[in-house]
Amino acid sequence: MESTVSVSKGVFLFTNGFKKGKTNKKKSGKVLFEKIFLKELWYETYKQNWNYIENELQELHQKTYSLLLNDIVNYIKNHGISESSTLEGIIPSATLLTGVSQPDHVSQFASLIDIIRNEVTPHVALVNSQDAPTVKHLVENAVWQLIHGKQILDYDEESEDIITQTKKLKKNQCTMKTLKNWYLSKSPMKKKSTTTKRMLVIIIPDFESFNCNVLQDFVMIVSSYVSTMPIVFVFGVATSVSALHKSFPYHVSSKLLIKVFHSHASPVYMNQVLEDIFLTHTSPFHLSGKAFELLTDVFLFYDFSVTGLIQSIKYCMMDHFYGDNLKSLCCDRDKLEEVIMELSADDLENLRQLMSFRPFLEQQDCVTKISLFNDDNFFREALYKKMNRLHDYLYSFYMCLRLLCVFVKDLPKNMLGKSVREIYTKCALECVANTSAFKDCMQLLKFQSQMKLVESIKSALKIVNSHLQAVSPVRPLRSSPTKNNINNIFINDDLGENFVKSLRVHLLTFLRQIEQANTDTTVSTHDSQETENADENVPGNRYKLKEKLLKATRVDRVQSEFEMVRSRFVSYLEDVFSAGLQPAHAHTFHELLLFGDVSRVRRHVVGAPRGAVHTALSNPVHYLQCSCCHLPSSDSVIDTLPDVCLAYKLHRECGKHINLYDWLQAFAAVLRPEEDDEQRHQDPNIQLRFTRAVAELQFLGFIKSSKRKTDHVMRLTW
Amino acid sequence: MASGFRLRFGESQTKVVDDADEILDSPSRRTTRIRTKPKKYGDFLDHTPTKRRPYKEISSSEEDEVTDETGVQKPTALFSEDDVEGQDMFKFKSRHTKLDLQNKVKAAISSSPKPTDSPMKTPRKLAAFNSSLTKVSQATPKQVKDIIKKRIINEVASDSGESDFSGSSSDFVPEGSDHDETDSQSSPAASSDEEEEEEQKPKKPVSKTGKNKETKTKVKDSEYFVTPDNYFMMHSSKKIATSDHTLARLKNLNVNENDLDDIEISVEHKKSINELNQTYTQLFNKWLYILSENFNIILYGVGSKRSVLQQFQKQKLNDFPCIVVNGFFPSLTIKNILETIVIDLLENSHVPSNVGDVVNLIDTQLTENGIDLFLIIHNIDGTMLRNAKAQSMLASISQIKNVHTIATIDHINAPLLWDHTKLSRFKFTWWDVTTFVPYSEETSYENSLMTHRSGALQLSSLKSVYQSLTSNAKGIFKIIIEYQLENQKQHYQGLPFKDLYSKCREQFLVSSDLALRAQLTEFLDHKLVKMKRTYDGSENLVIPIDNVLMQQFLDQQTS
Repeated sequence: MESTVSVSKGVFLFTNGFKKGKTNKKKSGKVLFEKIFLKELWYETYKQNWNYIENELQELHQKTYSLLLNDIVNYIKNHGISESSTLEGIIPSATLLTGVSQPDHVSQFASLIDIIRNEVTPHVALVNSQDAPTVKHLVENAVWQLIHGKQILDYDEESEDIITQTKKLKKNQCTMKTLKNWYLSKSPMKKKSTTTKRMLVIIIPDFESFNCNVLQDFVMIVSSYVSTMPIVFVFGVATSVSALHKSFPYHVSSKLLIKVFHSHASPVYMNQVLEDIFLTHTSPFHLSGKAFELLTDVFLFYDFSVTGLIQSIKYCMMDHFYGDNLKSLCCDRDKLEEVIMELSADDLENLRQLMSFRPFLEQQDCVTKISLFNDDNFFREALYKKMNRLHDYLYSFYMCLRLLCVFVKDLPKNMLGKSVREIYTKCALECVANTSAFKDCMQLLKFQSQMKLVESIKSALKIVNSHLQAVSPVRPLRSSPTKNNINNIFINDDLGENFVKSLRVHLLTFLRQIEQANTDTTVSTHDSQETENADENVPGNRYKLKEKLLKATRVDRVQSEFEMVRSRFVSYLEDVFSAGLQPAHAHTFHELLLFGDVSRVRRHVVGAPRGAVHTALSNPVHYLQCSCCHLPSSDSVIDTLPDVCLAYKLHRECGKHINLYDWLQAFAAVLRPEEDDEQRHQDPNIQLRFTRAVAELQFLGFIKSSKRKTDHVMRLTW
Repeated sequence: MASGFRLRFGESQTKVVDDADEILDSPSRRTTRIRTKPKKYGDFLDHTPTKRRPYKEISSSEEDEVTDETGVQKPTALFSEDDVEGQDMFKFKSRHTKLDLQNKVKAAISSSPKPTDSPMKTPRKLAAFNSSLTKVSQATPKQVKDIIKKRIINEVASDSGESDFSGSSSDFVPEGSDHDETDSQSSPAASSDEEEEEEQKPKKPVSKTGKNKETKTKVKDSEYFVTPDNYFMMHSSKKIATSDHTLARLKNLNVNENDLDDIEISVEHKKSINELNQTYTQLFNKWLYILSENFNIILYGVGSKRSVLQQFQKQKLNDFPCIVVNGFFPSLTIKNILETIVIDLLENSHVPSNVGDVVNLIDTQLTENGIDLFLIIHNIDGTMLRNAKAQSMLASISQIKNVHTIATIDHINAPLLWDHTKLSRFKFTWWDVTTFVPYSEETSYENSLMTHRSGALQLSSLKSVYQSLTSNAKGIFKIIIEYQLENQKQHYQGLPFKDLYSKCREQFLVSSDLALRAQLTEFLDHKLVKMKRTYDGSENLVIPIDNVLMQQFLDQQTS
């Protein structure tokens, strides 16, 4: 008997040598866990990359939340000051409309608490619905957190000993009365300093999940104390303000002074995260177009949660790096040289096997080819060059992407999309300059007004300037000596910083030209000629008139100075974008920086349990790879199938109810066609196999027992 | 992710959305709104065409904008070619008839290329199989058979073309299904000749015409155009359209649970199952890596995944504290799991009652000690864990940085357990681990549908309790059983206590009311007997066991 099978127990503990008291475990634990991977090159790179992204995310969080949260904090502060002016028994409360993606709120409220602790008061309580099934629990939790809030803060910074000295209240002693006593006992000392420091903030992050009655009672209780203590509520409401009004009757809601704050919609936040963190050249890890599309689809169509999106991206990153030393090349530019030197001969050999290396190889002449294969150092040089070029390419790619976004986002019909991420998916899959949507966009640009164009160019210049600043450490040149004729390798150095610089110069000149260009050159000699000609014509000839008008429009446009500049500008843009927005898969070694194995990740991120069960049962060959079970169609049945599959297929032929006896007969008939039916049904072996197959189908949830009729089961699928 | 399931319904869904948008944006609706006829003449003056004109133009331009913005976005990367078609899994067939199963078996038998099969033999087998099903409850009177035979012969003769014949025979199918419903309802004893005739009708031609006609009807079947109405038609009738056979027709239904282990599997399958499971061991390092990055793992697919997880535990988790939870264990509670973590592992005295407190406690103590706890949950979708409370508890525990959860699911609807919030706490990565290993442990606890019918378990437990009784108590129990067997009715009310008392006194089993009650408590405690209170306040005693079983029990005792 196995150790985890028992008829009296369902939970088994394997301590594996763990004892609570042992202090030496304290350090070994983490090391033990990480040491499996820590020596690997790829793991280090992965860690670096992820830490970088995590930090960026943190900063972004701060930035995006700060505006909204500052509003709330100011609101709370103001109520602290104007405390005396509030009416008797009315609790000021901020209602934060958070939107439906609740997983994201955790971080939002965490940063809210941080800000309140830093700026307003150390006494903050956050009570989740799961911790407060009754009023008693709610009060206990809130009061305990309010009183000990300060200490929890300390706990993070200092050691435990200090806390144990200050006496801790037991949870069941925490009532509103103790809170009041505690508050009054502390107040005389600090009364002089500031009144604002003395606020008590209670945060209820998931308003809808609470039991209405509990909250109503709680509000009533608190309102009777609010005259002695300045308490402020913060409600997190996922749906709409009406939820608040619905769950509070008048006598409760009259005790609340509600102010509503709106937070960003989560797609806005997602766009921000993607644009600022993942669609930049600063992080060495990039998502290919397909992978990117998958993740945004999961966001838009499944969960709507930014946290989930970030986790999926993290998973993609993990998968990208896992077990592959080559991926250590996916690092910052300055470390590139170091890493290339560390690579072993095997790694280099693997690099040569990469698909994207082939086209590059074919461009080279014979001598270079041979040395690329035989001379590791030469190959390293080439690799270094190529990787640098790849970085250059990404740098200019993302900049062009943003430029394109600036010019395109306001165009009617949104053919390429509005946000950077939408345009990215289009650009990453194919060369966008060849698509019809792009051409249409450029056509539309040719109709844009002077003002609008100037505006877009100015914002484009802003992007270019910020990009130029970001890359201030100019790309390092090779420090290793050139032993070989490395210059033989054909690398056209048209991308990177120089590209951006020339772009800037061009944009500046175009801006100046467009600003100065005169749009009013409508009257000209050609025009008058045309009108004369028109007069000569017979008025009845409609076809000719049409032709004339067409010609007239064409001629007119050429004449305006602004239009000339504009069309020159647009054709310049076309050139720039077709150069800068080449899809990544045309570049050598793109696999190293771009993650593209979508199908594998998709299975693990999304998961399709029902599909897997169906495939396994209806077409077991897919998993078993056996020669005996090849089926002509997915519906057909043969006797070599595993028992469960056979029973499954037979049950699919039945209606809502299945007669067990008939089912068994059919089962037996398939397995033993040659026997007489009387015998085969009585065969205990068949019965046994059938019984187990039925039990397994029941376990999988396809059938359940039914009391409607004797010896019948019910199908749970149709 | 909410998900769980990935369907290829995408197109149809978005189509619906499209339609909805069209309805929303359709100019007809706007124009109807504009064109509402004013009731008063004065109003009408205000709405003269000249005034209305600019308004209309504005509305149309507005419309353009709306359509621009609501251009429905479709998922592009979510679905790919290798997905399982939603059609396959979720379509409902045309009406199921009694014959479907039969046809399938016939197709299977006739198509299987057995060397022993001679073409001559096959039809006989089919006929044998058919007859076994058809001769069931009623023997068809000979005259009826003759009538039908004649009719069929006439039909064949008149429609010489084969195609015509098959066409007419395919008409039988829906007809037959209608009749199936009726005759399942009618009790076999009361069935009239007419009904038998009708029942016989669809079967005869099928058994006669054999294979090639068979395929024809099948094609017809698959072309059946499925409309939602069909579904409701199928489910609207409360009648069960199946045959009336019961397992009692099997003379030797004596399935012994213990024999389940030695079921033969073909050698090739054994080999390929082994190979399949071997491939999963190569994933162990990756799993460890994923777990170390604070993701959790969920395994799905057909077949028991216990052995895979056991190997994982044995190979990789020897140095870490592990907790193995059997989710399929029938009396598992979430409290058991918490107690094991908080009391047994972390050596606290009691488990806090509050969810948040427990999670905080586990979190702080684990980080204080610097250890990682691995939680292996076989069947996180087990019956006892199928409630929101247990799942949210598990989710909160799995969220802790030092707790790593590996869980398995088997039930097809398991993903419905988790909402958005729980899923984001669990942070699952999904792994298809289809093993085809039989669920021997998992299904050992549930009483299987088949073995349940044989009632071996109930019988043996009844026996063992009975044997420990005093002779007087045995007598009392017998009286109750016998009374119940004598009074078999649709709504058996039970043996009134007063009657039992008088019967017992007659046989000198008890001397007082009180003594009888004392004896009865024993039965009540073992749930051998149930006490029902009627409206008039008297107590009735019922034994909650099948009558057949009781009879069997009684026979064994007397023999």
